[in-house]
Amino acid sequence: MFRRNRERGHGPSAEALRLVKVGKVYRAGGQDAGKPGEAGDRESTVTALHDVTLSLPTGSFTAVMGPSGSGKSTLLQCAAGLERPDSGIVVVDGEEVTAGDEAQLAVFRRLRIGFVFQQYNLLPTLTVLENTTLPLRLARRRVNLPRAREILGQVGLGDRLGHLPDQLSGGQRQRVAIARALVTEPSVIFADEPTGALDLRSAREVLALLREAVSRHGRTVVMVTHDPVAASYADAVLFLADGRLAGSLAAPTVDAVAERLAHLGDEVYAAGRPEFRAGV
Amino acid sequence: MFLLAMRSLRQRPGRFAGTLLAAFLGAAITMTFNSLHDTAAAPGIDDASAETLNLSGGVVGGYGTLLVFFAIASTLTVTVRQREEEMELLRRTGATPRQLGRMVVGEAAVVALAATVLAILPAMLGGRVLLGMFHDSGQVARDVDYAFGPIALSAGFGVTLLASVGAAFLAVRRATRAGRRAPRTRLRALGGALALLGGAAGVSTTFALDATDPILMAPAAEGAILLSIGLAAFSPALLRALLACLGRPFAALAGPSGYLAVLNLRRNAARLAGILMPLVLFTGIATATLCMQAVESDAIEASGLTKSVEDKNMETLNLIVVGIIVVFACVMLINSLYAATAYRVREFGRQRLTGATPRQVIGMVGAEATLLTVTGVLLGTAAGLAGLVPFTLVRADEALPGQAPWIWLGIVAVAVAATVVTAVATARRGLRVPAVAAVAVAA
Ligand SMILES: Nc1ncnc2c1ncn2[C@@H]1O[C@H](COP(=O)(O)OP(=O)(O)OP(=O)(O)O)[C@@H](O)[C@H]1O
Ligand SMILES: [Mg+2]
Repeated sequence: MFRRNRERGHGPSAEALRLVKVGKVYRAGGQDAGKPGEAGDRESTVTALHDVTLSLPTGSFTAVMGPSGSGKSTLLQCAAGLERPDSGIVVVDGEEVTAGDEAQLAVFRRLRIGFVFQQYNLLPTLTVLENTTLPLRLARRRVNLPRAREILGQVGLGDRLGHLPDQLSGGQRQRVAIARALVTEPSVIFADEPTGALDLRSAREVLALLREAVSRHGRTVVMVTHDPVAASYADAVLFLADGRLAGSLAAPTVDAVAERLAHLGDEVYAAGRPEFRAGV
Repeated sequence: MFLLAMRSLRQRPGRFAGTLLAAFLGAAITMTFNSLHDTAAAPGIDDASAETLNLSGGVVGGYGTLLVFFAIASTLTVTVRQREEEMELLRRTGATPRQLGRMVVGEAAVVALAATVLAILPAMLGGRVLLGMFHDSGQVARDVDYAFGPIALSAGFGVTLLASVGAAFLAVRRATRAGRRAPRTRLRALGGALALLGGAAGVSTTFALDATDPILMAPAAEGAILLSIGLAAFSPALLRALLACLGRPFAALAGPSGYLAVLNLRRNAARLAGILMPLVLFTGIATATLCMQAVESDAIEASGLTKSVEDKNMETLNLIVVGIIVVFACVMLINSLYAATAYRVREFGRQRLTGATPRQVIGMVGAEATLLTVTGVLLGTAAGLAGLVPFTLVRADEALPGQAPWIWLGIVAVAVAATVVTAVATARRGLRVPAVAAVAVAA
């Protein structure tokens, strides 16, 4: 498996994702606020992320966990260039994503980043195959149909290529979304509660697919989840509480994750873990 | 339920703007022409004046009522469809279809009443202008005074209210009885076929008439209108056929935006009827009537006669009727297209999250609007020509009047502007919502 930045002559980047002091503040009205930590009407703003610094190596599978409202989705969206952080920088595959307008971000995202949403976000008027190849078409890249069919075959949808999304079950739709995230061979795949709407068996299949993307295709996967079983598929777990990193766990087991989650509140303000490096 | 209706009206007044405008125009036109009956009913009026007034009052009567009904029905259907989610929620929280129906019908009635009240003053002014015209032409005696009375008022309130309530009733029945599409499509096909037959008959009648026959224009013009209606009914199917031929090359030429546009149109063709129909009607009716009027004027001039007063009146009334139809078609077109595009904010969000740049989304909407306009203009032009050519052959012994291309270009320019500008401007507004927020539920 070649890595695309080698093609471009950057040399292999051992680091797939780096966040440096990333902060994000929401105003109550729903709009972005100014810099985090700014005084003023404190009631009406929410600090969703507070100086988050982390680094993930290429080829790692990381789970992000934490209580509801702790900033997991915000973290993922800032890292993927879907939200603009108020401070700090985000580097994906050696390139800074925090610069540029929406169009430039879209161009960057569709080549380097795959995103899997809890609600699938497939286009209802496009078939399974058309949905999967859409990022390539939008990027005006050659559409390798045999390759797209192969990926859809791997996710178990080889016989559903011509179906529309509303003819599929939730688990099948999520597998289409994963195929779509894989087809551009992105540096990093972000998945926000990809199994949140699925039954146990479909969830297992989706997790196995993400695991395979890492071990077989050499991708880097970052996944938000509330489920200790899902987290146990990852190489490492990052814990988030109140918008700050609150520890990590390498080679997670279901019990260890559940245990840590239960005591997460105690650790939050025990300072001293400003930075995280996934141990792989 | 009535309280609920009032509340939803107060909270989302913008949503009813289209219906309000359609009802307002409808009420204003109905009352303007019906006030001529009031004027004619004044005591001591001479027979000739009364006849002119009553005839003119009746000109728009039938067509007008039908148009008001269609315009209000089209805008209301859009509003109801936009609110499917809200209605689904209400239904799940225990509202019966009957209660939902009462809510929507109640809203429609309130909007219709407001629109009619607003339309009274403009209708009075319009009626005065019409009477002034008849005074000047000598068709109505100078001493006849304008009156705006019970006939205008009862027609205005009656037609608008009936049209609104009826249309709301039908729209909500359709919305709450999902999954029963087939009969409606069949009904539309039947209506379309009848309109085509009627139109063909009208157009053929033209050849049986004499070049100087005063009613020569009537069957040709009405034939063109009926053909437009017939082709409009089949426009979704024709759009699909067009895409089957031109879809691939268009997508290849227009890039990713064109690719998405073709797929969206192909799979949504049935739903686009509400946009295609007014486009076809607008193009067909405007082309036929305006060109025929030009042929008629030229023919009178060529015969060395000056236009008689009656010719002038005929021309003015003709243009008024066409103007009304065209304005209604435009309102329907813009309203349906605006609503359909505004409804797609979530879809745009999904496309952006899949990697589409804002420019690609705008390009897609523009490409869809262009393809729709091409289809609508093609069909409308076919219907218009079918009426125009026989008329010109009989009246002026040529196939097409020299001004036809210019008139046609003007009409097409209006159609393109209305469609593309509405779609692109609405999409642009939808893109201001951040993509992540746009795909979130209950946006
Ligand atoms: N668009 C927004 N406007 C205002 N506040 C927001 C917005 N998005 C998130 N927030 C706030 O930011 C904080 C973090 O939200 P985020 O969605 O990242 O949490 P999460 O960890 O993903 O929670 P969950 O597990 O429930 O999905 C929350 O307090 C939330 O209310
Ligand atoms: Mg979340």
